[in-house]
Amino acid sequence: MTAIPLFHVLVLSSLLFTIGFTGVVARKNTLFILMSLEVMLNAVGVAFIGAGSAWQQADGQVMFILILTLAAAEVAVGLALLIRMQKKYRSLDIDLLNKMKG
Amino acid sequence: MMMVTAANTHASLSLDVIQTILPQLIVAFGIALALILVAWRRSQRTIVLFTAGVLTTALIASVNLLAIQPTVVTQLLKVDSNSAFAFSLVLVVALTSLHMSYQFLKNHIEVHDEYYLLLMLLVLGAGVLVTSHHFASLFLGFELLSISLVGLVGYHRESNYSVESGFKYLVLSASASSFMLLGIAFIYSVTGTMSFDANLPNDIYHQQNLRLFFELGILLFISGIAFKLSIAPFHFWTPDVYQGAPTPVTSLMATVSKIAMFVVLVKCVIAQRYMLHGNLQLLLIVLAIASMLIGNVLALKQSNLKRLIAYSSIAHMGYLLIVVIVISGESLAFTWQSVLFYLSAYVVANISLFLVVASLQTQCLTGDRVVKHYQEEPVLNDLQGLFWRTPSYGLLVILAILSLAGIPLTMGFIGKFYILSQATIAHAWWLIITLIVGSGISLAYYLPIIFKLFEVEPEGGNEVKKLERAVIEKVLVYSFIIIGLVFGVFPDVVSQFIVS
Repeated sequence: MTAIPLFHVLVLSSLLFTIGFTGVVARKNTLFILMSLEVMLNAVGVAFIGAGSAWQQADGQVMFILILTLAAAEVAVGLALLIRMQKKYRSLDIDLLNKMKG
Repeated sequence: MMMVTAANTHASLSLDVIQTILPQLIVAFGIALALILVAWRRSQRTIVLFTAGVLTTALIASVNLLAIQPTVVTQLLKVDSNSAFAFSLVLVVALTSLHMSYQFLKNHIEVHDEYYLLLMLLVLGAGVLVTSHHFASLFLGFELLSISLVGLVGYHRESNYSVESGFKYLVLSASASSFMLLGIAFIYSVTGTMSFDANLPNDIYHQQNLRLFFELGILLFISGIAFKLSIAPFHFWTPDVYQGAPTPVTSLMATVSKIAMFVVLVKCVIAQRYMLHGNLQLLLIVLAIASMLIGNVLALKQSNLKRLIAYSSIAHMGYLLIVVIVISGESLAFTWQSVLFYLSAYVVANISLFLVVASLQTQCLTGDRVVKHYQEEPVLNDLQGLFWRTPSYGLLVILAILSLAGIPLTMGFIGKFYILSQATIAHAWWLIITLIVGSGISLAYYLPIIFKLFEVEPEGGNEVKKLERAVIEKVLVYSFIIIGLVFGVFPDVVSQFIVS
């Protein structure tokens, strides 16, 4: 079995991260923004697992489990806010959230 | 190798070591008990008293640790006198904010048990952050802090802005934490360890492919933290979220999360000296200068008090960043002293301002017979004539503003003096010039606040009467006035605290 070089793993995770970040910036629907945030977090998970396997340590995988927990907590709060937004504005368009200026 | 270290640290987790993280344990245990308490009896009063009890006990335990020798608790945490001081500061702020929250929430019929749980979680997050010694615990503390803050920011359901500010804060803080995490992942992949005081293995650092990722990692890590500290290019969320959040929550955001994040940043930079190589130092200088200028200039045209405080906090974080830039190996104690003193000055001034703002807002709610709509936007004009109506509040605002502006005989001045002396030792002239220019600009928005306090109210226009005050509120107001005065005139008292 040939090992995948760490460099490649890091490039892959950076690409995934960029895709996720583009989603957060470009999407208008808040649900998709939350999904893009998940993509970003999981891209980080790929990097951690790659690094952990390159160093032959469990730390990378432990971090990945912590990240999964974080993602769940974050999306729980996010969905709660999403429901409130749907109730209030009858829409999930992020552009409605621009009342504060100055 | 990991197994061996894990076994070692496990064996050393004795009673003595546990004692050093007692404040954090008390808060954590308090959260669990509070959950049971909520199940047993839902009453606003009980949970407030319980939270106050937990925080006070933790505060006592934390003050006891002030003279502690640096102790490593497992691989994750390291307790020293600096972290104990920072956590005590956090607890004091949290207690004050607890009082404000109670005043704010008791007028709603609904019972708000969750609010106090989130508040304790926030404090626990700050406690983990200030003691963290490993990227994993940094990450956990960071997330405890930010997720509970998101919950708190969106808490006031009747507010027009709650969804907006909550969502903004959620999306931005989640992106910031993923940036920070990616940075940690890159650093880890190059160094092979996540502990703060790891030595950088040179052979890998010089492998050209990975070196790029290492530098990128540090950049991402710093930007994640800079977001939380609302340092200039990452500051856009600050005014909106400050404005939209309930005032007690804003006060927590302006103080607790700033203290915790800054302490962890200093810890990290001190432990990992390699962070301050060439390019990174330049980057930090640019960030500091940008936030000093942007924060002060944008604050000029604000009429909303909370937005004004938000912009001034951006500027203050810029000032404080100077200390991080000029860190040198010889005078770490002095660095810590400056950071902690400046943070205490900043925190005392901010919490005093928020105390006044919060009671200005709630008095409309409790005033006379009609329960009026909660005044959502405290503007500068609300302060008009405050000094004549309630002199103690007026005095508190004056002290806080003078301290933020850095006028002599206040804590803020001593704090700035610390920063200036550090910067002079390091010959960072550009930073000094910007600091002075920034403070000059800041007078242009700080002083009008003080003038406003003394203005006579227009006849009949303002129906606001004397502020209605509870005993605790009076105690808080007077104690903050005394703290501001005593520590401004005799700064040695605090600095001896920090040094001991």
